[in-house]
Amino acid sequence: MFKQEVISFQNFSYSYPTKRNVLIDINLKVYKGEVLGIIGPNGAGKSTFCKSLNGLVPHFYGGSIKGNVIVAGMNTLEHTVAELSTKVGIVFQEPENQLSGLALTVEEEVGFGLSMLGFKKELIRERVKEAIEKFGLKGLEKRSPFELSGGQQQRLAIATIFAMKPEVMVLDEPAALLDPIGKYEVFSTIKELIAEGSTIVIAEHEIEEIAYLTDRILFLKEGKIISLDNTRNVLSEISKLKEAGIDPPSVTELTYVLEKELGNKFDQYPIKLSEAVKLYSEVLKIK
Amino acid sequence: MKNTIIKVENVWFKYSEEVIALKGINLEIKEGEIIALIGQNGGGKTTLAKHLNGLLKPTKGRVIVKNLDTKNTPVHILTNIVGYVFQNPAHQIFTSKVYDEVAYGPKNQGLSQEDIEKRVKMALEMVGLIGYEDTHPHDLNYGQMKLLTIASIIAMQPEVYVLDEPTSGQDHNGRRAIAELILKLNKEGRTIIVITHDMKFVAQVAERTILMANGEILGDSSTRDILLNIDLLEKAAIKPPQIAQLCIELKKFGLNFNCLTIDEALKVFSQYIKK
Amino acid sequence: MSSIGTSLLRRSIIVKETLIHKADPRTKFLFFLWISIWAYIFYDYVLTTIFLIGIIILAIIGKILKRILLSVAVIVLPWMALGVPILSVLFPWNSTLMYKIEIFGWQIPFYYEGFAWGLTWPLRIGVCITSALLFYLTTNPANLIALLFKLKLPFRFIYAFAAATQLIPLLVDEAGTIYQAQLSRGLRTDVGIIKRIWNFLILIVPLTLSSLTKVQIRAIALESRGFSAPVIKTCPYDIRFKNIDYVFFIGIAIATLIMVYVYTVYGFSPIVHLKQYFISG
Repeated sequence: MFKQEVISFQNFSYSYPTKRNVLIDINLKVYKGEVLGIIGPNGAGKSTFCKSLNGLVPHFYGGSIKGNVIVAGMNTLEHTVAELSTKVGIVFQEPENQLSGLALTVEEEVGFGLSMLGFKKELIRERVKEAIEKFGLKGLEKRSPFELSGGQQQRLAIATIFAMKPEVMVLDEPAALLDPIGKYEVFSTIKELIAEGSTIVIAEHEIEEIAYLTDRILFLKEGKIISLDNTRNVLSEISKLKEAGIDPPSVTELTYVLEKELGNKFDQYPIKLSEAVKLYSEVLKIK
Repeated sequence: MKNTIIKVENVWFKYSEEVIALKGINLEIKEGEIIALIGQNGGGKTTLAKHLNGLLKPTKGRVIVKNLDTKNTPVHILTNIVGYVFQNPAHQIFTSKVYDEVAYGPKNQGLSQEDIEKRVKMALEMVGLIGYEDTHPHDLNYGQMKLLTIASIIAMQPEVYVLDEPTSGQDHNGRRAIAELILKLNKEGRTIIVITHDMKFVAQVAERTILMANGEILGDSSTRDILLNIDLLEKAAIKPPQIAQLCIELKKFGLNFNCLTIDEALKVFSQYIKK
Repeated sequence: MSSIGTSLLRRSIIVKETLIHKADPRTKFLFFLWISIWAYIFYDYVLTTIFLIGIIILAIIGKILKRILLSVAVIVLPWMALGVPILSVLFPWNSTLMYKIEIFGWQIPFYYEGFAWGLTWPLRIGVCITSALLFYLTTNPANLIALLFKLKLPFRFIYAFAAATQLIPLLVDEAGTIYQAQLSRGLRTDVGIIKRIWNFLILIVPLTLSSLTKVQIRAIALESRGFSAPVIKTCPYDIRFKNIDYVFFIGIAIATLIMVYVYTVYGFSPIVHLKQYFISG
C-alpha cells in the first residue's frame, strides 16, 4: 500500500524564549489518512508539538529552533501561519476562547476561516452548509456562538476548521474542559472525520477514548519521544506509562496487575472495553 | 452516628423568571463524608454548591450550615465553615508570592501574624508545596497552581471543602495528587464535596454520589449504587468508569461482579480465578 | 454564562422593524454627518431646535424615543440650565442688553450674546449626539460591521470594534466569578473606603491576568484561521440601498438646497436674526 507522507519532523528541537528544550530531537513521519494520538504528562511537549504543525511554533512564539517540520509539502519555517492555515487546522482546548468574537452567528463562525482567507461568498456559503450538516449544528445556525454549550462550541470549532478543507486536522486536547455529553459529542465528531479518511493528530488525556480512535500513538515525556508505535503496543507498555505518570486504559491496567498477581500470561492486553469483555467472559466463565 | 453538618431543605433557585436552576433540592450532608456531585453542565451542580457557603441564597427553602441559616448569615462567617475552591486558579491568584496567596484567607479571618505563619506552613505541607513560599504563583505549572488554590483554602481550616472540578485540565499525575489530598483531608475529619466529570476519580475517592440533572437530584446514594445503575446513568447520559462498564457487561454472561476500581477488580477477579 | 453577561449580549442583538431600522447604515451615518455640519454652520438656536425636533420625529418613527429624550435630558438641558443664566451675565462678548432683573436689591443685566451662546451650543451638541444615537440604536451589529467594511477601514480595526461588543459581556461574567472566588476566601464587603480600594485590586489583578491569557489563546486561534492573511477579507454581510434610502437622499438633497438658499440670503442666523429685530424694537 503506497503511503503518502503528509507530516515529517526532521531532527526537530525547540525552546521557547522562556522555557528551554520543550521538544528534543523529534523524528517522525505521519501518513495520509493516519490518526496519530499524542500522550504524555503535562509539560511533555504535546501542545508544542501540535503548534509546530501550523507554524505557531516558531512564528508566533519566537524561541530557538533546530531541524525542520514539513507539512503538506510546506516547510513551516519558510511559510507564515496564515499560509499554513490553508493546509493545517488546529482545534484548541478552550471552547469559548477560540471563538473568533467577530461572528454574530454560528453560520458566520463556521465561515470565519474562509472569510479570513478571502474566499468568495458563494463558496463560503456552500462549505458552511456542508460543515453545519456534517457536524450536527443544524438548527443552531442563527444562534450566537457564545450561547452554545461547551460541546457544541468544540463541534463548531471543528466545523470551522473542516470548512477550510485542510490536509491535516490537529486537535489539542479538545475534550479536556467538557462535560460527559460534550466529550461524547467531540469524540463522535472525530470518529466521523476518521471515517472520511482525514489525517488527524490528536493530543489527549482521555486514554480510554483514544484507544478506539488512533492508528499510532506518540508517547512524549519531557520533550523526548518515549514510544512511537501502533496503539496496541504503546498502551500495553504499562510500566513505561506508569513511570511517566500516565494511567493506561483501566482494562489494560487490570489485565497487567492480574497477570502479576496470578502469574498467568495473557496473549494480548485488551485496550478496549469490547476486548476486555471478550477476554474476561472467557477467562472467568471457565471456572 | 455522624452529625449532620449541612442541611438543604426544599431549595429552589431562580437566576431569572425563565431560568430555574434548582427545583426543590433536599439533602443532608454528614460530617466526614466524601461526596461526589455529578451530572451534565447546566444541571445545577455548581448552583447547589454555591448555596453551601452562602454565595447564593435560595429563592425558596433554606440551607442550614451548622445551625446557621445561610439567608441570615454573612458570607464571611460561612466561609469559615465551608471552603469553596473554584475551578480556574486564575480567578483567584492575585499575589506575587505563594506564601502571600495562602496567607490571604487566614488574614481575612483576622488571625495573628504567628497563627497565619503556622497555618500557611501547615497548608503548604499538606499539598506538598513546602519550599515554594517565595515562588511567583505564575511560575508554577497548572497542577501546582491547583494545589496552591486548595492550600489557600486549607489555611482557613474550614470543616467542609467544596472542590469545583479539581481534576479538570490535569494530567493523571495531577489527578492522583488531588485524590491523595482529599483522602488526607478526610482522615482529619473534614467533609468533602467534589464536583467532577471524572467517573474514574469518583470511584476512587467518593463513598457517596449525588447525580443531578435539570435542577433536580436524580440519585443520591452510595457511589457503588449510582455508578452501577445503568438506567439512571443513561438518563443523565453519563458513562460509569471502565471497570464498572466491564462488570456491567459481564453480568450478561451470568458473572455477578460489582467492582468500580482496578484494585477492587484485581481482588475480586483473582480470588474468583484462584477458586 | 451568567445572566448579566447573557443579557448584555442579547440586548446588543435586539432588532426592531421600523422604517428607520430598515434604512441602510450608510444613509443614517450620512444623515448624522450632514445634520451635525448644518447645525454648526447656522448659529441660530431656533433653527437648531427645529433640527433637534426633526431628529426626535425620526426617533418616534424608529421607536427609540425614550432613549433619545433621555440623552437630551441628560446632556442638553442641564448644560442649558446652567449656561444660559451664567453666560447671559458673564459672557465676555456681551454687549446687547436684553433685560435688567432685580435680585436681592442688585440690578443684574442679562445680555443677549451670552444668552444666545448658552442656548445654541448645547443644542448643537444635542443635534450631534442624538443623530449619532439615531444611527447607532437603529443599526444592528451585522449592518454596523458591514458599514465598516464598506468604508474600507483596516480589518484589524473592524475586528477590534466588533469583537469588543461580543467579548465585553464575557469580561463582566468573569468579574462576577472572580468576585465570588475571592468572597469564598473571606473577602470582606463591609469595610471602609481604603479597604474597598484594596478589594478592587484583588478583583482587577486576576481579571487582567485571566484576560491576558484569553487574549493570547484567541490570538493563536485567529492566526490559525488565517487572520493575518494579506488578502481582502470577505464580509459576511450584505447591505444594499432600498427605497427608503433613496427617499432620504432626495429629502436631504432638497433640504440642502433650501438651507443653502437661506444661508446666502439671510445669513447664518436667519430666524433668530429676525427675532432680534423684534426684541430691540
